[in-house]
Amino acid sequence: MTTLSNKPILECTGIERRFGGIVAVTGVDLVIQRGEIFGLVGPNGSGKTTLTNAITGFYPPNEGTVRLAGKNITGTAPHKVAKLGVARTFQNLALFNGMSVLDNILLGRHIHMHPGVFRTAFYWWAARPEEVQNRKIVEEVIEFLQLESIRYELVDGLPIGLKKRVELARALVAEPQMLILDEPMAGMNQEEKGYMSRFILDARDERGVSVLLIEHHMDVIIGICDRVLALNYGEMIASGIPKDVVKDPRVIEAYIGGSHG
Amino acid sequence: MFYRLSGVYHSSLISDSRMFKVPADRNLAVFLLLIGLAAPFILPSLYLNSYILPWLIWTAAALGLNLVTGWAGQLHLGYAAVMAVGAYSAIHTVRLGVPWEIALIIGGLAASVIGSLFAFAALRVKGLYLALTTLAMQFVMDWVLTHSPTISGGSHSSLQAPTLALLGQQITSDAGYYYVALGWCVLVTIFMLNLKRTGLGRALVAVREKDFAAAILGVNSFYYKILAFAASSFIAGVSGALLVATFYFLAAPEQFSVNVSIQVLAMVIVGGLGSIIGSYFGVALILLVPGLVNGLVVTASEELGMQVNVETLAHIPNAVYGALIVIILMIEPLGLGKLYGNIRDYLMTWPFDQLRK
Repeated sequence: MTTLSNKPILECTGIERRFGGIVAVTGVDLVIQRGEIFGLVGPNGSGKTTLTNAITGFYPPNEGTVRLAGKNITGTAPHKVAKLGVARTFQNLALFNGMSVLDNILLGRHIHMHPGVFRTAFYWWAARPEEVQNRKIVEEVIEFLQLESIRYELVDGLPIGLKKRVELARALVAEPQMLILDEPMAGMNQEEKGYMSRFILDARDERGVSVLLIEHHMDVIIGICDRVLALNYGEMIASGIPKDVVKDPRVIEAYIGGSHG
Repeated sequence: MFYRLSGVYHSSLISDSRMFKVPADRNLAVFLLLIGLAAPFILPSLYLNSYILPWLIWTAAALGLNLVTGWAGQLHLGYAAVMAVGAYSAIHTVRLGVPWEIALIIGGLAASVIGSLFAFAALRVKGLYLALTTLAMQFVMDWVLTHSPTISGGSHSSLQAPTLALLGQQITSDAGYYYVALGWCVLVTIFMLNLKRTGLGRALVAVREKDFAAAILGVNSFYYKILAFAASSFIAGVSGALLVATFYFLAAPEQFSVNVSIQVLAMVIVGGLGSIIGSYFGVALILLVPGLVNGLVVTASEELGMQVNVETLAHIPNAVYGALIVIILMIEPLGLGKLYGNIRDYLMTWPFDQLRK
């Protein structure tokens, strides 16, 4: 940690995003330090995904700024945000179903490669060294996430737990500074959740990525997050150490509608 | 049977990224290439130059359209217009005294520039709207061709292509024309096979399948769509020029009219979007089957001693081949390429196919 710059990896100040008359997110401040696993919780429709879309450029914020390692990236187009070192997974998966697991993960290396017409035409001299070198990095991540046996299978036929893992692999091979995981454990059983939590912790410890984790499973949030921010109706209602946040009466009220039950 | 996956091991990443990973596929490709090279010595030149040669050039053209429609997922109804740009620019360049090799490249580049210019305008819209915009482009090109005598040699007239000459060699023999067509088709096929295993191909598929997911991986969809249009237009341009140089010998606007565009699109769709071998099949079906059915009907009517009037004779092949397209797409919406793939996959595990789920 001491070798890296002390600037927080991600800094959001006063983020507001409106859709017509609806204010989806307002006044959200968020600071994520390097190497931190930062949880984002809140009931459905509380603006968690909108916030990540504001960060990654899909829905640029109407107000406020987003800084990545000190650099202002507010409103930058998604493909440029990706090049700057932000990778993310999607709540409803965004894998390419017609492609194999391997090709999906190789696409994660896109920002480190230089695909072009001439490289394709003169494959043996121009593209093969690059393809092989990137494939090596992909193979490391495939081994790390234990996907060896399904490497050549089409993504379409995989169970959801594996699909989520493939998507995590695709995000990790990009070697991002910041990894945004949007409900990576939705629909998983206890065992799969255990695996996934371990992968996220290992990714942080071995690969040094900082993680923004959106999750509804409070056991996971308490188990692996360093700090947590809770949203409700697009506003921040609590932030701090996970244990304190989940005990916060406003969070309990937001989730189950009242703490005096 | 002949295909076997068991016993095929790749022990390095280079061998795992080969063009044909199964030896049987590779052997088949080499075998077909040898047949292709030997064809002038086997087939009478009538068949060679009136069936095989156009089949090869149209396959190259269809592969180009497959790049933009099958890979990048952009509907294109103005493909013949792009071919026309290539053909006319190449011919006019040669008439100015430039050698054919350079003229072909200039034709390809001209088609590429015009094709991507239209794409620039068209890419603000998607799907059906894109189809309609490209169709409009086709009509604009038709109009320009028929109304500018400097390009087309005047309305209702045609433009004579100068004799093809490559590498200082005048090409006038039937076998010569055939080898030029074969060479071009092989080059385009190799390019498409490489596309299957490089980042460019993956990026194009990403743009086709989910553009928001492509964006988060750093793929600039707009750039790759333009690139797809440019590359495909280049292939179209050179194919158009070669078609005139080795097959039509005269360039006329109706050779690149709107129904030709639709025909190429049909070749790609019947063959299978995103399938290379499928494009070969698709072109064969659309180009060769009508003639084949015609011959069959004539022979059958003579054998059976039936009188078939000329009108019926003209319509039967069209009806049969229309029905064939419908039947094929009903059996396998992914086209002939997928049908071939199914058979190949079956043979891959035969006779142990019952072990698969």
